[in-house]
Formats: sequence, C-alpha cells, structure tokens
Amino acid sequence: MEQVIVNGFYLGAQYALIALGLTLIFALMNVLNFAHGQMYVLGGFISYTIYGKLGLPFVVALISSGVTLAIVGALFERFLFRTVIKRSLREESTMLLAAATAFFLDAVILLLFGEKQRGVPKIVKGVYNDGNLIMPYDRMVVGILAIAFIAGFILYMKYSRPGRAMRALAQDRVAAQLMGVEVDRYTMIGFALGAMLAGIVGGLLVAITGINSGIGGPISIKAFLMVMIGGAGVVGGAIAGGFILGMLESVGLTVLREFGDVTYLVIFAALMVFLSIRPNGLMGKPWG
Amino acid sequence: MSPPVKILSVVVFLFAVFVAVPVMITVTGRTDFYYTLTSVALLSIASAGVWLTFYIGRINIGQGAYSLLGGYASAILVVDYGWSFWLTIPAAGLLCAGVSILVGLPILRLRGVYFAMVTLVFTEVARLLALALPVTGGATGMTSIPLPGAVSIFGLTIIPDFASLENPRLAFYLLAVTLMVLCFAAMYRIVHSRIGRLCQSLQQNEELASSIGVNIVYLRLIAYAISSFLGGVGGVIFVAISQSIYPSSFTVTDSVNFMLNCFLGGLGYVFGPMLGTLVLYFGWDLLFEAGRFQLLIYSSVMIVLILVLPNGLLSLGLILRRKV
Amino acid sequence: MTLISSLSRRALLGAVAIMAVAVASPALANEKLKIGFVGVTSGPAAAWGTSNVRSMQTRAAWLNETGGVKIGDKTYDIEIVTFDDQKDPKRAIEGMEKMAQAGIRYVVGPNVDDGAAAVRPVAEKNGIIYFPYAFPKSLYTKPASNAVLGMIANYQSGPAIYKYLKENKGVKKVAFVAANESDPLSQRDGGVAAAKALGLEVVADKDTYQNDTRDFTPVLTPIVQLKPDLLVLSGVAPANAPLLIRAARELGYTGLISTETAQDAKVLEEGAGELANGFISVGGASTPEIASDTMKEFVDRYTKMFGEYNDESNTKVYALEYIIETLKADPAAINDVEAFKKTMDSFSAANPYMKGDAKLSYVGTTSFGQKRQVAVPMVVNVYKDGKFETLFVGTVD
Repeated sequence: MEQVIVNGFYLGAQYALIALGLTLIFALMNVLNFAHGQMYVLGGFISYTIYGKLGLPFVVALISSGVTLAIVGALFERFLFRTVIKRSLREESTMLLAAATAFFLDAVILLLFGEKQRGVPKIVKGVYNDGNLIMPYDRMVVGILAIAFIAGFILYMKYSRPGRAMRALAQDRVAAQLMGVEVDRYTMIGFALGAMLAGIVGGLLVAITGINSGIGGPISIKAFLMVMIGGAGVVGGAIAGGFILGMLESVGLTVLREFGDVTYLVIFAALMVFLSIRPNGLMGKPWG
Repeated sequence: MSPPVKILSVVVFLFAVFVAVPVMITVTGRTDFYYTLTSVALLSIASAGVWLTFYIGRINIGQGAYSLLGGYASAILVVDYGWSFWLTIPAAGLLCAGVSILVGLPILRLRGVYFAMVTLVFTEVARLLALALPVTGGATGMTSIPLPGAVSIFGLTIIPDFASLENPRLAFYLLAVTLMVLCFAAMYRIVHSRIGRLCQSLQQNEELASSIGVNIVYLRLIAYAISSFLGGVGGVIFVAISQSIYPSSFTVTDSVNFMLNCFLGGLGYVFGPMLGTLVLYFGWDLLFEAGRFQLLIYSSVMIVLILVLPNGLLSLGLILRRKV
Repeated sequence: MTLISSLSRRALLGAVAIMAVAVASPALANEKLKIGFVGVTSGPAAAWGTSNVRSMQTRAAWLNETGGVKIGDKTYDIEIVTFDDQKDPKRAIEGMEKMAQAGIRYVVGPNVDDGAAAVRPVAEKNGIIYFPYAFPKSLYTKPASNAVLGMIANYQSGPAIYKYLKENKGVKKVAFVAANESDPLSQRDGGVAAAKALGLEVVADKDTYQNDTRDFTPVLTPIVQLKPDLLVLSGVAPANAPLLIRAARELGYTGLISTETAQDAKVLEEGAGELANGFISVGGASTPEIASDTMKEFVDRYTKMFGEYNDESNTKVYALEYIIETLKADPAAINDVEAFKKTMDSFSAANPYMKGDAKLSYVGTTSFGQKRQVAVPMVVNVYKDGKFETLFVGTVD
C-alpha cells in the first residue's frame, strides 16, 4: 500500500504542475485553453531535441522549453485572444479559438516532429528499492523539481509585482484597471506564464514518459478534470485537484482492479457525483 | 426579414436541399457528396441540440454521449427485439430525453466551465458504459445491423426497403435532410415561442429570471431533454448507415466538434449550427487533397475565420447590413 | 440560407476543377493505377496509419522509378490516394466514399475495428476490396467477402507465442493488461482464452488503462505484485509499449513481456532503453536472418524518403505488394473485384521481401472459412539493444 500512496503522490505532483498553467490563464481571462496539452507536447519535443538529440544538459533543455512556450503564449494572447475577446459578444467564443489553436499546434507538431513516440536517455540512473518501496531516482528528481516549480510559482504570484498585479486582475478586472494595473500587459504576461508552465512540465516529463505528437488533446482534458475538481481559476484548487486525481488513479486502480474494466468508469462517475454536490469544485469561484 | 422574404428563402432552401443538390450530384457524378451532406445534416441535428443548451447559457460538451446512447438503443431494438428501424428513431430519441432528465437534474445546477467539464466527463462515462454493459456487446460492438426496412400503410409502400435499393445513399440523404429540416423548423418555432424567450432570459441572468417567477429548473430540463433527443436521433441514423456501432462510434472528439459547430455558425442564430457544421465538416473534407498539410490549412483557416467573425459566420450578415 | 447551396456548388466546382487539372496535366508514358488508403494519420494513433501510407508511397515511388508495373499488356504508374479518418468510423465511411468516387477498387485500411466495420457497407456496395488492420472475424467470414486481413491476427500469433514460451521458457503464470478500448480489449479476451486453452494460469485478465495514460506505474503496481512469468500487453499502441515496459521493469518485474502487434525498435530504444531487452513482439520480415535484398533496399528507400524507418512497416509493406501481384496474375481484376476474389483462391507468387523461396498467397481458411488474409510471415521478434532478433518464424493457414 505504501507503494500505491507514493505512486499517487508522485503522479499528483506532475498533475498539479500541469493544471497550474491552465488555471492561471482561466483565472485571468476566463479562457479555457484547449491548447494547453499541445503546449505541453511542444515543450516536450523541444526538450527532446535539445537534450535527447543535441545532447545538451537537461537544464538547458528545460529552460528552452519554458522560454519558447512563453513566447508562443505571448504571441497567441497578443494577436489572437485579445482581438477575439474584445470583439465577441459572449466570452465563451474564445473556446472555438482555443480549439483552433490546439488543432494548429497539433498540425505543426506532427509536421515538425513526426508521429512516433519519442524518449530521451534517463537523467539519473538507478532505482531506490528497500524491499517495500520502489522508486526510480529519476522519478524522485522529477517529482522534487515539480514541487519546486509549484512552490516557485506560488511565491512568484504572492510576492512579485507582476504576480500581485495578476492576482488583482483575477479578482476583479475593472477594479484592477481603476487602480492603475496595466490590464493588457499583465494579461499577456499571464498567458505567457501559463503557456510557459505547460512547456516546462512537458519538458520535465519527457525524461520519464517521453513525448508523442498525439497526446495533446488527452492531456488538456486531464488538466481540465484536475482544475474542475479543485475549482477553476484558483491556484490552490489546481494543486489540490492534481494531487486528488493522482491519488484517485493510483488508489482506484489498485482497489478496484477486482472489478476489472470498470475502474475508470467508477472514477469518472464519482467525479460527476462530486461535481454535482460541489458545483464549484473544492474551492472554485462561484461564477466558474 | 419581412414575411414574403422569409417564405421565399424557406422555399429556396427546401428546393436547394431536396431538388438542386440531388440534381447537381447526378449531373456532376460526385455521388460521394451524398454521404458528406448526409453527415452534415445529421451532425447539424445533434449540433442544434447543443445550440439549444447554449441558448439557456450552458456549454454542452456531452452530446456525443446521447448520440452513442441513441445509436445503441436503435441497434439493440432492431437486432435483439426485431423492432422496425423507423420506430426506433423516436424511441431512441425519447430514451435519450429521459436519461438526460435524470442526468440533468443534478448537473444542470452547474454553470460555465463546470457544466462543460461534467458533460465532457459524461461522454467518457457513456463510452465506458458501452464497453462494460453486457447488453451492448462490449468491446466487440454490434455489426451487420440490417438496413432500414420498408414502411407501408394499407398495402401502399411509403418508404421502400433500403436493402432493395440500388444504392441507399440517396435514400439516406433524403432521410437526413428531412430530419434536419424538421429539426430546424422545430428549433425556430421553439426560439420564437414564449419558452424560447424565457430561455433567453435564463441565458442572461438566471437569478433575475427566477425572481420574476420563471421556473428555471423546469425550463432547463426541457431544453436539455430536447437537446439530448436531437443528439440521439443523429446517432440512430449514423448507425443505420454504417450498419455497426462500437463504444468508440461517438467520442469526446464528437462532443467537442458539436460544440465547435455552434460556435462557428454563431451562438445567436438558430441556423448557426447548420452552417457551422457544413463549413467545419465539408471544409475538412475538401482539404483531403492537401494530404499531410490538411490539418495545418484547416486550423489556419479556422483561426482566420474566428478573428474576422468572432461571433460566428452568420454575424457576417449583421456586419454587412450595418455597412450598407 | 442560399449561402449553403452556393457554398456546396462552389465546392463542387472546385473539386471538378481539381480533377480537370489532374486529367489535363501532360500525359506521362504510363497510365495511372490508383490504390487507396483510408486510415488514421493524425492524433494519438497516427503512427499506425502513417507507417501504412509511407510504405505504400515508398514502394509506389520505387516501382514508378523503375518504369512502372506491367499488368496484362499495359504498364501502369502506381498512385497512392490517402484519406485520414482521424480514427473516427464516420470519417472512415467518408474516406471509402471518396475512394469509390475516384474509381479506386483496392484500398488499404482502416486501422481499427470500428472503422473497418463501418466501411463495410460502402465497400460492398461499390465493389471495393479493402485490407483492414483489424481483427474481428465477422469482417472476413461469409457473408462478408470484400475485406482481406492485412496482417496476422492476435488469435493466430498469440497461441503460437504462448506455446513457444511455455515449452521453451517455462512460463506458467500469465497476466494481461490492455487499454480500455475495443481493439485491445478484444485482443485481450482472445489472448486469455488462448492461454487458458494451453493450460496456463491466468493471474490477471481484467486490468485496463486509459489509452491516454502517460505514467503506467499505478496500473502495473498491483500486477507486478502477482509475480507472473509472462506479462502480455494486449493490442498495445507502439507509443505506450516502451512506457509500460519501463514502468514494469522499474517496479522490479523480472518475467517476460510480450505483445501480438508490431512495434518499432527505435521507439522502444528511446523510450525504455535496455529495459526493453527481451521484449517479444510480432513483426514482418526485416530481421537480418530473413530479410532479402529487396527488403533491405525498401528500408533504405523508406529512410531516404522520410528520414526514419518504422519497423511496423515490415508488415505493412505487404498489402500493396499483394494487390499489385494479384492484379498481375489476373489483369481483368483491375476493374473487377469479383475476378480478384476468384484469383485469390489460387494466387501464388514469390515473396520478394524474404530470403529463400517464401511465397505470397492468401490464407485464412482455418480462421475465417475462406481465404481472406494475406500470408505475412509470422516472425516473432525479440528486442535486443536497438534491434529485433528473430525468435522463431511461424505460419498461418
């Protein structure tokens, strides 16, 4: 059972990091970024190319993934989302744009990097095994890095100037504007930051699970689930949602394996029931 | 639009779908377009349902579940219980409506992205149920489902047996567009009725609507049930065409596409989902010549369309009129 | 509202124009023979269809470069027409309609069960023979007659593999794990039945995972604790295979791992490295022991054209070869699939991709009651340091 808990915790750490970027963009702009998973994949392929193909240090690869995605995110916000948000009557309309950008990134990634599953050499070799608990060292490193990134992000949002501005924006856009926050600028920074987080987590996980041009859509959907569990648009919610889903999968797969094929059916049905009881997730804003 | 113009456009439209299109296809010999347009008609029926839930202010990404349910209901009734295919169309639709009321009661309280997500999860639940329930045949799906049979009243054959037709493509096309016309006529009627106006009040502000005495729970359920009915009907016809159904016949991708069709056509226009489906589905189809650049061109065009017309393709008319 | 009809009209005109251009382009010496492909070349399963398409394009370019294919008294250039069905059965029907429209009689694909079942009515109405990579027996047994299985089914290779491992490696306990989708689950059920028939103890036959799983440790933790001798990854997608192998090995699993579908060595090497050593899968004919010079040249040309080879193509190279060779044997079949079906019963030609005197012929009588399967050599491979080695070669009848 310890193994199951540790698995769940590790899974939760990476899920939480995936969910963070999505929830940030949602909090700032009310955009459900369908392309989040595709950004993750792009980040993964950049790390794959730099670390796996060119043989540069993993840290360099990780930074490149983050920076590239930040630029992509900023461009998307500036030239696509800003225009559409200003001109559309119903703000849900951005969902179509988000989906279109997801298709676009899918197409670009498939053309650039091919259809095959890719992987990189292990960043740390060896497996920790005390007879009771088994954990490869590279997973430990990735898990710790994921938690470090989460902590860094929280601190940044809490204490840095842009972080405070973004929190103000998320809380009340109009009031923030009246207080002199440059709305456009910080929205762009926020979108870039969200995309960067997706890129970083993609780059990070390429070391464990590799990367594949087709998984963007499924990753987005998984990220949506975590955000919904925790509550949309709240940083704490995303983190909680990530850990809960990770634990749910790990424990569920072990406990429910007797019942065979219905494991995921039970997990998803439970999610629906949970959301029916708590319509805003654990700690979401009521307006969703 | 003045009444005469309205009537005229309806006549032109009916003429186009029932006469002009078949004639054009016969003349050009592009018989493959029968299936393309049949798909467009069926997908636009399901999308119309999604549009109706948008109309009450809910983002519905769960329509695929009802298409799958409707498809399975029809297949099981035809294969295991020997029902006539034609009876299964309303039966499957009503079953979907019934299920949607049970599902809708708890989840329609959710709003915004939460409702969107819970319906998305519901699509996956439907797929997994289809895999797990014994009645569906599980992973092996159902195959070799018979084609729709003949319908006759007093010995007079109204609808011929599809299996006896040289090629049932035209028959399926006519069936699909007939249903589409009925569906959109009903939608138009609903939107312009008292219920339609109440729905719109829901879209704008539920609390306010509730405070002036609108029974919002009832109204939401009705809209969602009609929506799911349409999703089920779309699924039924698809199953009849492919003569097979699998748990993966309608998936999350379909649910998302139904939603995108509504967005692209325009959330403010009854006929939005029809146009949106046509452009998205037909567009993909035409680009098949582009080979591996298909998705790239498709998504780029889509992005440009959204940038130019963020409120849907049908808002073009509005913009043009304003300029004039 | 008239916009709709004018749109479709414009679309029609556009399509007509494209066809006109195609016809009007300077006539080459050879007539074109179009062969279709309907399958998945985008999304998570893109690798399946892509390896099909690329094998076909490589072979077609090669044949055309060397003067085309002589069928009867005419020489043809092969043209491959592809359609991406996005793994959606509704789109697959669309693709088959497109093929019928282009006058194509022979189509490779679809890649999955639901698509293969969905295109059946269209293929039969329009007289198209198609070569699915899907295993349901109902596609190939009467009254169905237009589908030809393009590879070896798991219910054919599975028993052979389990038998071999039971006799040679002392396997007693088997565990199965599959994605919760139609194809893998059907394959798992077939595998479980085969293992039980051989008297093996099946310790896990209900464990599933979502196909989008990226981290398989939680899935495999309970299975590894059962300590099976053999872990079967039923119908595993090439993208997931290295992840499953790596997770199992890192959890301390020491038994054998196998699957009945084709895999790619490069993917295994990158994704699992040396942990994938000993992994057993079923492939075509590119292991050095049996690959002919033609096969080696095919791999070279493929690599030149697309940058990287995919070992799944070892199996997928065959469908086009069968179509062309059967047409050569009976030129009347070019526009008449009934003639093709008749020829299938007696057809035999040399297998260019294998050393020795291996033959191309149609099989499947045992499984389907009629010859509706291409005879691909059943090469059971074992992965070792970035390459596949032949474990044993079986046959299907």
